[in-house]
Parts: sequence; C-alpha cells; structure tokens
Amino acid sequence: MVASLAAVAIGAAAFSAPAKAADPVTITIWTFGDVIQRNLVAEYKALHPEVSLQIKKSDLDPLDGTNMVTACTANTGPDIVATEVSYSGYWRSYPKCFQDLRQMKTTGESTAGIPAGQTANDIQKNYLAWRWAQGVAFNGSVIGIPTDVGGLEVAYRSDLFKKAGLPTDRAAVAKLWPTWDAFIAAGQKYDAKLSAADKKAGKGFIDNAGTIYAAIMNQGTAKYYANDGTESGKLIYATNPQVKLAWDTTIKATKAGIGTRIGQYTSDWNIGMNKGTFATILAPAWMMDYIKAQAPDTAGKWDIASIPGGGGNQGGTQLGIPSYAQNKQAAYDFLTWYLAPAQELKVFKSYGLFPAASVLYNDPALVNFKDPFFNNAPVGQIYAAGVQKLKPIFEGKLQRAIDTAIGAGLGRVAAKKQTSEKSWSDVLIAIQKAVSN
Amino acid sequence: MIVFLSIFPFYWMFVVASNTNAEISKSPPSLIPGGRFLIVARKVLSAQGVYFNSALLNTFIVGISIAVAQVIFSAIAGFAFAKLDFKGRKGLILFVIGTMMLPSQLGIIPLFLLVKNLHMIDTLYGLIVPALVTAFGVFWMRQIIDAQIPNELLEAASIDGASVPRIFFKIVLPIVRQSGFVLGLFAFLAAWNDYLWPTIVLQSPRHFTLQVALTQLKPMYGLDYGLQMGGAFLATAPLLILFIFVGRKLVTGVMDGAVKG
Amino acid sequence: MAVLNERERSKKPLSPWKSKKTSDKKAAAFPGVKSLNGRWGYLYVAPFVIMFVVFGLAPVIYSVYISFFHWDPLGTSTFTGLRNFNLLLHDSDLWLALRNTFSIWALSTFPQMFMAIGLANLLRNTRLRGKSFFRTILLVPNITSVIAITIVFSQLFGRDFGIINDFLGWAGLGHHIDFIEGVIPSHVQIATMITWRWIGYNTLIFLASMLAIPNELFESSSVDGASKWQQFRFVTLPQLKNTITFVLIVGTIGGLQVFAEPQQLAADGGSSKQFLTLTLFLYNQAFVNNKYGYAAAIGIFITFIVLIISAVNFVISRKISNDGTR
Repeated sequence: MVASLAAVAIGAAAFSAPAKAADPVTITIWTFGDVIQRNLVAEYKALHPEVSLQIKKSDLDPLDGTNMVTACTANTGPDIVATEVSYSGYWRSYPKCFQDLRQMKTTGESTAGIPAGQTANDIQKNYLAWRWAQGVAFNGSVIGIPTDVGGLEVAYRSDLFKKAGLPTDRAAVAKLWPTWDAFIAAGQKYDAKLSAADKKAGKGFIDNAGTIYAAIMNQGTAKYYANDGTESGKLIYATNPQVKLAWDTTIKATKAGIGTRIGQYTSDWNIGMNKGTFATILAPAWMMDYIKAQAPDTAGKWDIASIPGGGGNQGGTQLGIPSYAQNKQAAYDFLTWYLAPAQELKVFKSYGLFPAASVLYNDPALVNFKDPFFNNAPVGQIYAAGVQKLKPIFEGKLQRAIDTAIGAGLGRVAAKKQTSEKSWSDVLIAIQKAVSN
Repeated sequence: MIVFLSIFPFYWMFVVASNTNAEISKSPPSLIPGGRFLIVARKVLSAQGVYFNSALLNTFIVGISIAVAQVIFSAIAGFAFAKLDFKGRKGLILFVIGTMMLPSQLGIIPLFLLVKNLHMIDTLYGLIVPALVTAFGVFWMRQIIDAQIPNELLEAASIDGASVPRIFFKIVLPIVRQSGFVLGLFAFLAAWNDYLWPTIVLQSPRHFTLQVALTQLKPMYGLDYGLQMGGAFLATAPLLILFIFVGRKLVTGVMDGAVKG
Repeated sequence: MAVLNERERSKKPLSPWKSKKTSDKKAAAFPGVKSLNGRWGYLYVAPFVIMFVVFGLAPVIYSVYISFFHWDPLGTSTFTGLRNFNLLLHDSDLWLALRNTFSIWALSTFPQMFMAIGLANLLRNTRLRGKSFFRTILLVPNITSVIAITIVFSQLFGRDFGIINDFLGWAGLGHHIDFIEGVIPSHVQIATMITWRWIGYNTLIFLASMLAIPNELFESSSVDGASKWQQFRFVTLPQLKNTITFVLIVGTIGGLQVFAEPQQLAADGGSSKQFLTLTLFLYNQAFVNNKYGYAAAIGIFITFIVLIISAVNFVISRKISNDGTR
C-alpha cells in the first residue's frame, strides 16, 4: 500500500501537468457517516475509471479530533477530509494543515459539466455565503467547501397540537411563534392542556429546551470570537449580547417546563418519538430521515413549520484537502465534482441532505419537493427559506469547548441542580479555565 | 440465574439487531428476536467499506500475533526478573510497573510519529509491533514464575549442570504454560476490542480490524441501533464460537493461574 | 536429577536461585556462576527492554516533557515550567474527577468481590451438570465490546423508558431515576457495566482458590460440628487472602483508569461533571481544550495516585498475610 502510494506520488510529480486520464490514482478520503454517498462514488468511477476512492469512516470525534491532529503533526494525511461544523472553529485556526483551495484549479470535465481552471474563488458564488464562510480560515485561506446545510425548522405533531387546541395548519402554526417568547407561550398553552396522567408520564411540548440555545446562537452575527487576524481569535463571549439572549431565552423555556428533558439520540428519545411524548423537535433537514426510520408508525402525523426567528442551522460538513495529501489535483477534481450543484441535488434526492449550493434553491426539484411523512410539507421551500436568513459567523479555536461548558450549564439548570445565576457564573469559570493558557 | 445475567446483554444485542428501529423504540421493548436478523446481517456484511471477512481475518492475525508475542517476551523477561539476579533488577521492574500506570491516551501522538517513521502506517505491523511488550505482561509473568516455580527446583537443575536457557525451556515454560495461556487470552481480547489506536493507524478498508470496520456502519448523526447491534453481534459471535471450543482449556488456565498466583 | 536435602544444599555455595527466605541482601559473590548469571539476566531481559524503551517509554518521556509546556502540536509551544502542575493542584475539576474515580472504583470493586466470592462458593458446593459450560458462560461478558455494551446498558438505564426504572417502580423503590444526571446513580450505572464485565472472571479466580483448599480442612471442621456458614467464615475465607489481594490490585489499576464507559455516556463527563473520571478529564483537556501539556500533567498525577494506592494495597496485604498464616 505504502509502496504503491509512493509510486503514484512520484508519477504524479513527474508529470507536473494535471494527471492524464490513463494514470491510475487512489484518492484516500477520511469521512464519517454518509457524507460521501455510495451512488455518487459509483458514478464518479464510471466517469473516471482510473480513479479509485478509498474511504475510511470513523466516529466524528476521533476523525476531526485525534486523527486529524495526529496526521497534521506527523505530516501525513488523506487526500480529502470531511470536517463537521462543530470542528470548523478549530480547524479554521490552523490553515497550515490544509491546502488553500483558492490555489487549486480544476482540470475540467466537459462530460460532467465542470469547466476547467476553476479555483475556489470561482465557485464560491454557488454556495450559501455563511456556509461557505465556515470553510474559510482566519487568514482568508479556503480550507473546505460545504457539502450540505442542516438548516433548522420545527417538526411538530399535528395530531397532538389538535388535541391541545392549537392550530395544525403549518402557516398558522408559523404565525403562532414568530418569536421565541411566543414559542415558549405556545408551549405553556400545550402543557396546560395535558392530562395529569400525561404529565406524570413525562410528556411535554418540546423534546429538550436546551436545543433552543444553539438555535438562537446561529441566528445572530457573532458567537464567542471575533477575527483579529490571529490564530486564536479574540474572545468576546462575555460581552456578546447574543450569548446572553440565547442563554436567557433557553432558561426561560426551561423554567416554563415546556421541555421533557430527554436527551436527543438516546433510546428514551427514540421511544418518545413513537409514543408522542413530545410534540415538537427543532429539526434540521437530515433529521427527517432519522424520524422516519425511528418512528415509521407516526407517518403523516408530523408537519414542518418555520422556526421562530426565521431560520437556523444544526450540522453540516466541509470537504477539504489536507496539506500533506499525496494526490491533491485528483482530490480537488473529485471534490469540485462531488460538491457541484448537480451532485448536491442528487444527494438531496436520494438521501435528503439539504444542499449548501444555494443556486439550487430555485430549482424545481427543490421547490416542488414535498414529504408525505410530514403531511406533504414543502420541505424544500421551507428549509431553503430558512437557511437564507442566516449570516456568516466567525468561529474560533475553542468553540467546541465553550459550547460544551455552556451546554453543561444549561443541563445543570434543567436538572435543577443550580439556579441560572449560579450556573452561569460556573460556566464563566469553566470557560476561563478552558481558554486560558 | 448467573447464566441469564451473563448472557442477557448479549442476547439483547441479538434482539435489537433483529428488530426494526420502530420495534426497538417501543416501550416496553419486545424481548423476542424479530425476523430481521438475516437482513441486518446481510446489510452489515455488504456495507460500503466493510470487508467483513478481511476484517475478521485481520483481527485474528493481529490478536494472535500480539498474544503469542506478548507471552513469549513476557515469559523471558519475567523469568529474568523473577529468577535471574542482575544489577538494577529491582529498580527496573519498579520503573516498568510505574509506567503501567500512565494512561495510554497520552501516548497517541508520539506513538503515531514513531510508527510513521518506521513506515508501519496502514499495516497490521503498526498494530502488532507497539503491542509486543507490555509492562503488565512482564509483571504478570514475573509474579507467576515467582510463585509457581520453587527456587529449589531450579537450584537442583543448575547443580545438575543445566544451562540457563535449558532450564528456561525445559522447566520453567512447561510449568507456567497455563498462566501464559491466560495472559495470551487477555492480550488477544484487548487487541480484539481495541478501537482508538487502530482507527488512527489503519487507512485502507481491506486492512481494517473488526472494530474499525464496524464504524463504517454508522450513520451521520445519531445511531442506527439495529445495524450497530447487528455489527457488534457479528463481531462477537466468532469469539463466542471460539470460546465454546477452547473454553474448557481457558477456564482451567484462569483457575490454575489463580491458584498459584 | 539428584535431590539434595535442605541442609546439605545450604552448605554449598549459594546457587543462582537462592530462596528468598534465606537472604535479604544481594547475592554474595559467586565466582563463575554469578557472572554467567548476570550475563544471562541481561540477555533475557534485553528483548523486552529494547522494545519497551522504544514503544513503552517513548510516550512516557514525551508526556513528561510536554507537561512543562503549554503544548500545541500544530502551533507554537511555550515553556511554562511547573505552571501546569500548580494549576492542576488548584483545579477543582481534578479533585472532582478524583472523587468520581474513587467512587466508581469502590462501587465496582467491592460489591463485585463479595458477589464473586459468594458466587464461587455457590458453584463449589453445587453438584451441577455441565460445570464447565457454566464456567465458560462466566467469561462471555469479558469478550463483548465496551461500546456495544454501553449502548445496551444506557438503554436499560433510561430515565423514562428503561427497564431498570420500570422494575424499580414496580418494586416500589423509586421511579424515573436519572441514571445520568445523578451523581451516585450515574456512578452506579458505570459501576454496573464494569461489574458485569469482570465478575465472571473474578468468580473463576475465587472458585479456583477455593477448590485448592484441601478437603481435609472441611472434613475436620464438619466433624467438629461447624455449620456451612462457619465453614465458609473460618475455613474458606482465610485461605482466600492472597487471591483477594491479587483481585484488589488488578482491579485498582484498571479501575483508576476507567475511560470508555463514562465517555460513551457523555463526552464531557456530565453536566456537573458527575462522572468525569481522571482519564476522561485527561483526554478532554488534550483533545477538546487543546491543552496537551496540561493533560500530560494530569497523566503524571494519575500515575502517582495509582502508585500510592498500589503501595497501600501491597502493604496491607503483606500485613494481612503475615497475620493470617497458620
């Protein structure tokens, strides 16, 4: 394996021009889950028989954490790596570990509709601005190009809403909560109509009030850092009003008791979906498939309405090329093909990942897409409208650590271990510990 | 009762693997296997990037190599520490034991750099070679040899003119065979279940060990319980079958090792 | 081989394998034999030492080195001297992790030991058919992967819909216990997973020791009119002292490094760090907070703790076996 890679590298170096169609090349990809779709892999192979894709999936945290750090330290790495947005803050601080995609040019695929000579700058306009920004390092280097966008809307159970005397039509529901305060009020109305037995069984309005925090943070223009041109960025978490707003609103929702305090992705959560334990979930586009798989018997009982605040996001991935990749040109050619709007549309149709390629948002395939599981909601339109409302946000190195500390703080209040004030001061202490040297 | 408790989580894995997600998420959950096991099994075996047979083979190769190597190296060194007198013996064994207590997670980056410089990335060697010797193995064998082999026996042999290597091979090894077997078993199991290190060293799907191969099954977010459990079940089943055949020997090995150790 | 009796042997120059009982000081000079012995010792220990220095020692040296730095493998690192250690000892999270680790260790070691001894006693007394089958079954938990087991157990321990909560509610022992948020409940969950994994192995060890107790002891005690319980207390237990020590020490070293189970439950160790163990604390400092030097300092701290506890275990067991020999 090592020997053959070396041979290819030497071969590629000998031909300084882009690899000719005949030279066999193996592109190594580090990814997680289904970011790289099987059917597209097969399609690319048909277009380029000489290119083999070698895909290694890992759990997310080893992948974007230990494995990438170790690889970059050791000056090795795959040809393509998938970075999830929770790690974008971190990797944007270390652009030296990635190839600046503005420096790469496409070879040109007339068959696949990719013109030649395209650098990252050229294709930037095809994508959602704030999703694109998540792949741009603090020094402007483009270290990754987005695959999909999570988006965030409210998935709600229309049958349970009806029982509680709330409107069921999605336009009416959206009018019910233009703001988060209105959302909380709707939740309280819902809870008031629950029977005593329901309350004892732990039923509630939303699965977890804590999810409101992240939703609000993504609706702002800044998070925990400001770009001061340095690797670590300038910390602004203590003074950013968005943080206070998100925290306070979430605490308000928690105290109003509208959440069932079930952790997402636990087995309790899956069961709760089936039993109607909660009536709403803040759902990114990719979660729809998850709900379908976990609770098929609830088909048709769900619907999707706009989220308070207009839009939101959860999740998403960038594909990038590590600095020490062996086959950068071949990797870049594959990457630009895979992320081209045409392919992202295919991924959406077959798998439901919402494309980050904003040029698609007027495409009839997206506009007319309705999901019968969710009462034929025009999810293409809803999510497209939502994601376009967000603004680029700068993310800094210890983004994840700060998010963890705040998440823990919210959890403590939800579990009634501390008051909001005490929890917040503990959060500040924890963050201070994490970001200090 | 004991049987039930031991087996139950394993049986539960099978149940989960054989049911659809919807059934798993019912409460109270169904306790009987559903009919989907073969479907799930097929999904696992044919999943992208999962070459189950290769993974199984790789894991066996790695596990057995590590087990055998550890037993041999540990027996030799353990013998030296227990019965051969040389300067610095005491200090060295204490130092070795001390390093046993440092958590292994710290060593990932330096170990990777080392393995890379030895050109062992993406090879099974990268898994085997760093695990050839462990402090625990040496410590274990030292204790075993110390307890199970009376000095008189060795004295008598040496007086009879046997050389040290002869004594080692003819006397020491046969006596500690069972306990060595147990050490090998634990080394094998540790290698079988290891994930963190193999996932960073192995790159090509055909080189994966089982645990890394199983990760290829994971969906993007959240968990597909059925598929996960199906994979885990299929990964444990070969060991279980092995156990049934080799079980009796292992058990007596554990017990013998304990009596004297 | 000629067998020399004890007295004659002691008159001859001490052979390489002098009995530990006879001499505490280092071997007196043996011309010829000793020097050969010394060389053999080095030769036999050499393969291990070489491999160990390369693969075992390198990480240790690296860790000790970076603990004196603010270390960033991808960026610049600055020398900070003892600062990491100073901060560490004043870090409330460290002491919290220590508390958690000890709590989980206690919950997973001692009940398990009692149960294992009891179980072994049971297995010894019963005339069961297919004994070796049962003994093999006991090792099944040990071969299942930790990750899969964590999934199964977290399902069983679910707050709203887990079977264990259902059972507790039915038995009137409380309901909707949160086995993740609560300090002790979360420790119980983790300890249960560990206990389940290791109890079979430890039961077999105790069973083996019990079977090695000469039957005469039991016979004579029952002739004296001892009840089964008295037999257990006065015959079986004392003979188990060495085994108990062994199980304790091995369990301690492993128990103080618990990592995978808490991490699977919640990567940050819980909202109030209720099940943050020392090793999880170390891992998060390195790979979440990007503080490799600090993590290394934690690692060194853990080493000292394990050393101290092992030493304490050793001293206690020495004392017990000196007291208890009959």
